[in-house]
Amino acid sequence: MKALIIKRLLILIPMLLVVSLMVSLLMSLAPGDPVSQFEMMPDVDAEYLQRLRQEFGLDQPWYMQYFHWLGQVLPFSYHPDAASFWQRFDFRPNFGFSYYYRTEVWDLLVQRMPATILLSLTSLVLAWVIAIPLGVLAAIYKDSIFDRISQMLAYAALSIPEFFLALLALVFAAKTGWFPIGGFTSVEHDFLSPWGRFLDIAHHLLLPTIVLGIGGVAGVMRIMRANFLDNIRSEYVVTARAKGLAEGAVMFRHVFRNAINPLITAAGFAFSSILSGALLVEIVMNYPGIGQLVYNALLQQDAFVVQASVLMSVIMLMIGNLLADIALAMNDPRIRYD
Amino acid sequence: MIIMSMSVNILRLWVLAALLTMATVLSACGPGQPPERARPQGPPPADADVSRMPPGQQGGVFFGTLGGMPRTLNPLQAGEDASSAMALSRLLEGLTRFDSAREEVVPGLAKSWDVGADQKTFTFHLRRGVQWSDGHPFTADDVVFTFQAIYDDRYPNRQKSELSVNGKPFEVEKIDDYTVRFRTADIYAPFLLYVGTSIMPRHKLIQAFDDGSLMRAWSVRDAQFTPEKIVSTGPLILERFRPAERIVYAANPHYYRIDSAGQRLPYIDRFIERIVNGQQASTLAFAYGQSDYENVEVRNVGWVKRNAERHGFTVYDRGPSQSTNFIWFNQNPGSNARGEPYVEPYKLAWFKDSRFRQAISYGIDREGIVQGVLLGRGLPLWGPVSPANRSWYNPDVQRYPFDPQRARALLREAGFTWDAAGKLHDRDGHAVAFSLSTNEDNEVRQAIGLVFIENMKQLGIDVRLQPLDFNTFVGKVMSSFDYEAGLLGLTGSWDPQGGWSVYHSAGRLHMWSPGQKTPQTPWEARIDELMQLQLRTLDVEARRRYVFEVQDILAREQPLIYTVTVNSYEGLQNRWRNLDPPQMGTLVWNYDEMWAETLLLR
Repeated sequence: MKALIIKRLLILIPMLLVVSLMVSLLMSLAPGDPVSQFEMMPDVDAEYLQRLRQEFGLDQPWYMQYFHWLGQVLPFSYHPDAASFWQRFDFRPNFGFSYYYRTEVWDLLVQRMPATILLSLTSLVLAWVIAIPLGVLAAIYKDSIFDRISQMLAYAALSIPEFFLALLALVFAAKTGWFPIGGFTSVEHDFLSPWGRFLDIAHHLLLPTIVLGIGGVAGVMRIMRANFLDNIRSEYVVTARAKGLAEGAVMFRHVFRNAINPLITAAGFAFSSILSGALLVEIVMNYPGIGQLVYNALLQQDAFVVQASVLMSVIMLMIGNLLADIALAMNDPRIRYD
Repeated sequence: MIIMSMSVNILRLWVLAALLTMATVLSACGPGQPPERARPQGPPPADADVSRMPPGQQGGVFFGTLGGMPRTLNPLQAGEDASSAMALSRLLEGLTRFDSAREEVVPGLAKSWDVGADQKTFTFHLRRGVQWSDGHPFTADDVVFTFQAIYDDRYPNRQKSELSVNGKPFEVEKIDDYTVRFRTADIYAPFLLYVGTSIMPRHKLIQAFDDGSLMRAWSVRDAQFTPEKIVSTGPLILERFRPAERIVYAANPHYYRIDSAGQRLPYIDRFIERIVNGQQASTLAFAYGQSDYENVEVRNVGWVKRNAERHGFTVYDRGPSQSTNFIWFNQNPGSNARGEPYVEPYKLAWFKDSRFRQAISYGIDREGIVQGVLLGRGLPLWGPVSPANRSWYNPDVQRYPFDPQRARALLREAGFTWDAAGKLHDRDGHAVAFSLSTNEDNEVRQAIGLVFIENMKQLGIDVRLQPLDFNTFVGKVMSSFDYEAGLLGLTGSWDPQGGWSVYHSAGRLHMWSPGQKTPQTPWEARIDELMQLQLRTLDVEARRRYVFEVQDILAREQPLIYTVTVNSYEGLQNRWRNLDPPQMGTLVWNYDEMWAETLLLR
């Protein structure tokens, strides 16, 4: 197990290098640079624009900019002349500097992370909590009317694009007035009691959670159903029934544990999209998370913000897979990584 | 069967739980309201500025929207985009202020000033008793510090060029705690306007200045986690900053302006600005009564007005705006790195002929654009200054009303002829055709381009519209010069010096041929001379004469063929009192003097 973890972490290094190089190249291909937007302002003088390009290193070729950025990137930093021992370590990772906000990219990510993680988690929980029982029931009562309807709804949910659902949700909110039209907190949020604030956020989270969760419900449910069906037909089920085990025990103690394996892998993937999965929904529903930040960074050619978000996604994907593999080994004693 | 009944039970429980949560959530979401803000009853500063508006009633919240998130509150950088500049302007004041309604520079943090006999020395007397929002006294040290930071080479900023004469910074000298003397290297006409730049708090920023981190101070991170460190002299203080959500400002208890009844301004308790995704979302919020104020774009005026009665607001027609739209030809004589000329030489010959440009100008149906594209909500434009700018608009420049006959006569005079099919040819038989580039993200501009193409067909000229990505367009116009004609708009500033980079032949935005070492034509040389003259006099009448002549020359030569200006529309909730509408600029410029008849929006 240790060997697996070490190997995976080592693979991560070349992978991050290649990915970041690709992102740098792609960002450099876009016309103009982050300073271009000031070019048409009559009261900005040429000397200042040149100075800005110099400060940001935009007057250099893209690979020089890349190496310059690479030199800054650190998982943490050490300040030898800080007053106390603990202050010498700054555990904020350095992802470079944002041209647009003129501040550390990491600070920007930290600002937006809580909202995005919260939304991703609630929608994941929603999806799994609904999808697993539905999938199991659909498998047990295969070809019943319940199975048919749930299958049809699942196909429908999978085929509707997320952004369209988000738009529908906004129209629903506007027409009924039951829900806020996008956003994360209401205007009076800062003046509410802690309980009031909690409810305020819950109220805002409900629609985006449903929008983001529906696609997940359909996907997870279909996997669950298919696996459950595979396992129901296997010989150990016949054995268990022949032994005289109760039907509930057969289904939940034996079939369920075998059928859940592929879902553990799926959970690993879901983990990797915690930061990036809500991008479209965030943009459409004006939700102040990382997706919105990255989208604006792309428009503004704020290269290092884009870079950081891509790298975070890569890291999350690797960690997600690793966690899934570990969980798999724990659930299924047949799997070993020696 | 056991499973079925078990799952049905679970399902029931679930539905019940879901309904319960929903009910609690919904019940908790009645319209809340921010608590009233207690105001300290301390005496106002000895030299408080007394508002000329009638006294009003304290309390209430002003709800605004921002179409984009401020990128920083750093005083040296916030001027770079509208949202940040707007946020900072609520917090920091300058020595002077611009009174939009009377179009004049009035005292701000300085209560008065004396101009020396040489017209280059200005002695400012600061208001006594003014405090920063944290109670720290405001003194001459803050002023000296601000200019020191602006001129420091470690901290490049946009203000520096406006606050320099011939590249030389102003000399700033502290006489005593409440007196500061400025000396300029030469007479500088817009001095009093530009010296009103935001004064920064020395006691808060000196450390960052010394250790070289001033550019990173007051970032969005500081605004979010330590808003109390961002102190102000303006009407508001920063209470809370939620990135991509909203900014909550509260009344500054130490603001230096009072009304005639002795009440401290501003009247409002809070100013809450929601950050939304773009202009359209912002307009939508206003149209449904969720914000107090909105700058309504022309294309939205119709439907927004229909909601006015239901949501208790008024959309004001504010007359012509400061925006301009113009078409110009690339007159750059040079050649690119491969030695190819930027513009085909025979085309360059047309573009350089003022009769050709005048003919094009006569061929444009500006009234048609106003009616067809802007639905009557605009005005034909004949020069670089919009009629909105009362102080500097020259009404008597040459005009080019739609007249294809006149256009044809001018073209004939310049040696152009028409073939049997009615196509225009030049002296050497080249068919007259060119491409018109513009940025694709502006609908009004593209519509103007389409009308222009139709107008040019009447003269036998083929025009191809080429919409480009903004950065690509900028690259072509500003550095590669790889285009034939362009269509663009600029928003004018009040002071004529703001147009320097367009008018002066060495200017960066001298669109038709920017950054010339020596002026290419006698009339460009004359404009350069006039721009220098207007800058070197404090006599407003003399300055106006010079600036009017610049407008005359530009209208005569038509290097920039101005088309139309769109009208400005502003919406405001009816509950607001003490409006002081200016001719130019926003209706709510004096929000510190405005008060609300009903305290809440809903």
